[in-house]
Amino acid sequence: LTTQRLVVVTGKGGVGKSSVAAALARAASAAGQRVLAVEIGRGGLGRLLGVEEPSAEPVTLTRRLSCVTVEPEAALADMVHAMLPLGVLARRLLQSTTFQIVAAAAPGLPEYLVLHRLAAWLDAKRLGRRQYDLVVVDAPASGHSLPLLTAPRTLGALARLGPIADFLTRIERVLGDPAATAVWIVTTPEELPVRETIELHRALQNELGESLAPPIVNDVPRRRFSTSDETALAAAGAAAHPYLVAARLEIAREHEARAQIRNLYRAVRRTPVRLPSLGAGGETEAGVARLTRAIASEVGFPS
Amino acid sequence: VTLERLVTRRRVLLCVGSGGVGKTTTAAALAVGAALRGRRTAVLTVDPSLRLKDALGLDHLDGRPRRVPLAGAALLDAQLLDVKRTFDELVRSLAGDRDQIQRILGNRLYQNLSGALAGSAEYMAVESVFRLVEDDAYDLVVVDTPPARHAVDFLDAPRRLLAFLDSRALAVLKDPTSILPGATSRLAQLILSSVLGGLERFTGIGLVREVSEFVAAIEGVTGALRARVAQVAGLLASDATELVLVTTPDPRLTADTRDLVESLGARGLRIGGVIVNRALPQSLFGPEACDPGVPAGTPPALAVKLRHAYADLRHEAARQQATLAPLLAAAGAPQLAQVPPLASTPVTVAGLEELAGHLFEEPPPPDARTTRGV
Repeated sequence: LTTQRLVVVTGKGGVGKSSVAAALARAASAAGQRVLAVEIGRGGLGRLLGVEEPSAEPVTLTRRLSCVTVEPEAALADMVHAMLPLGVLARRLLQSTTFQIVAAAAPGLPEYLVLHRLAAWLDAKRLGRRQYDLVVVDAPASGHSLPLLTAPRTLGALARLGPIADFLTRIERVLGDPAATAVWIVTTPEELPVRETIELHRALQNELGESLAPPIVNDVPRRRFSTSDETALAAAGAAAHPYLVAARLEIAREHEARAQIRNLYRAVRRTPVRLPSLGAGGETEAGVARLTRAIASEVGFPS
Repeated sequence: VTLERLVTRRRVLLCVGSGGVGKTTTAAALAVGAALRGRRTAVLTVDPSLRLKDALGLDHLDGRPRRVPLAGAALLDAQLLDVKRTFDELVRSLAGDRDQIQRILGNRLYQNLSGALAGSAEYMAVESVFRLVEDDAYDLVVVDTPPARHAVDFLDAPRRLLAFLDSRALAVLKDPTSILPGATSRLAQLILSSVLGGLERFTGIGLVREVSEFVAAIEGVTGALRARVAQVAGLLASDATELVLVTTPDPRLTADTRDLVESLGARGLRIGGVIVNRALPQSLFGPEACDPGVPAGTPPALAVKLRHAYADLRHEAARQQATLAPLLAAAGAPQLAQVPPLASTPVTVAGLEELAGHLFEEPPPPDARTTRGV
C-alpha cells in the first residue's frame, strides 16, 4: 500500500468509512508519509481528524497531515467563475434555479470537477518535490461514489477531444493502475452493508480492475466462545439465566458476522481485511487511535 | 399512545429514521401486525432484497401490489417503490393525449432531469403512497421511507415540487438565455451562451435544446400536476398520517434525530412515536438488575467467559440506557415499543409475526395467526 498515491475509501453510510479513512491518514503520516485527507462534502473525516471549520483549501493539521473539504457545488462555482470574467455575472448565474437544473442535468459534471481537484493535489509540488505522498479520499456513500469512480469512462465516451478528454484519459489511467490507486470498500459484517458492498464491488470491478482492494470489514466482533463452549451452552437449552442469555446473544451476533463475511467472500472471491469491533468508541478520537494501530498492522506500516 | 391505536386510527404510518436501524423490517412487521388485527393493509417498501421478498412469503416483489400469504381474513399487500414506473404512470394519467405522453417519456433528458426536478424521486414515493391511500381496498398504508439523508427530503418533496412549478424556472428553462434577467447587454448574453455552449460540448448533448423541449412537453401537464401535488401535501400534513421514528440506542443517532425533528418542525410536522430496535432488556442487564452469578455447575474456564460476556452486555445496556433518554427527548415523542436484539433478521412471515409480537402490547385474535401450532 505504501506505494499507492491515492486511496479512495467508500462504503454504506454508518459502517465507519470515515473512521477508516481517518485511521489510514493517521497511520500513513505516522509512518512518515505526507498525507492529504480529502472529504467530499461535509462528512465525518474532518471532525475525526480534529478540524473545526471545513476548508476548501488544505489545512495543515500536523507536519505531515493536511485536510481539505471538497464541495461539488463550490467546485462548480469555481469553474463558472473561471469561465466568466465578471464576478457579478457568475454569481447571478449560480443563483439561478434554471442554471442549477441545467447543470444537474449534465451527466458527470460534479464528479468531473471533484476528480479535477484530486488530480491537482496528486500533482502538487513544493520546493521541487511532491507535496503529498498519499491522498486519502473519504468518498461519498456507496450509491454516490459509483458515478465518481466511473466518471472518466462515462464522460470519456462523451468528450472525445480537447483538454477535457486528455484529462479524463489521464485520470482513468491513474484510477485503473493498482500501483497508483487503491479503492477500499468498507462494510460491517451485517446483511445490508454486505449486500451493498457486493453490488458496489461488482459494479467497480470492470472499471477499476486490480485497483479495487479487498473489502474491509469493520467492527468484527471477537470470538470468545469456542465450539465446545457453544455445545455446552446449547445443552443448557433456552434457560432464562441472564449469563446464558448474554452468551447466546453474543454467540448469535458472532455467528451472524461470520456468515456475512462468508457471503462477502463467496461473492467477491477476495479475502476481506478484518478490523476489530471497538464497541461504541469508533467515532471518538480514542477509537480512531485504536483503529489506526489496527490499520497500520494490516497494511504493514511500521507502528 | 400504542401501536394498536395508531394502526386502527390512522390511514398512513410513515416509518422514518437513519439507515441501518432496521426500518424496512420494522415496517414489514408493523404491516403484518396491522393486517392480523383486521386492518386491510398495504406496505410500500424501498428495499428490493431477496430476503424481504422471502420474509413476506412472495414470489415477486415489484411495483405492483402483491398479496402476502397470511392466515384467515387478514389482508396485506406489499409493493416495491418504483420511481420510474410511478413517474411514467403519473405522466400517463395527467397528460392529455398519446402524443404528449410520448414527447415526455421519449425525451432523452427525462430521467436525468427527473432527478433534478426538485427531488422528484422522493416525490414519486409520496405519490405512490397517495395512490394506495386513494385505493378503497386499503384501510392503512405503512411506508418504509427511502434512505434519504433526512426523511425530510421525502416529506418535503411535494412542497419543493410545487415551489418549482410555481417559480419562473419553467418559463425560463424554455429560453435559457433569459437566465440573467438584468443582463440585457449583448456582452453578457454572449458570455452566457458561451458558458452554456461549453457545458454542451462537455456533455456531448444538445443540453439547452433538450431541456427546452422537455419543459415545453411537460408544461402541458403542470396544471394537473400542481393540483395533484397539493392534494398529496395535504394528506401528509393531516391527522390521517402519523410519523413513526425507528431507531436504535446508538449515541450517533441522537444528533440525526435532533436535525430531523428540527426540519420536521419547520414544516409543521412532528414525530408521533418511537420504536427502539436492538434494545437490550434492561430488566436483565440494566444498571438496576442484580447479578445472579455464574449458573451453578459451570466449568471454571467457561465461567470466566460467561462472566466477561455478561459484564460486556451490562456495560452495553448501561450505555444504551444513557443514550435512550436524550434520544427520546430529541424525538419529542413517546416510546411505542422496544425490540430486543434479534439473533437474525426475519426470513419468513412467521418471523415477521414474531417481531410484530414485540411491537404490539396485545397478541392478535388467535384465529388470525399463521404460526398456530408451529
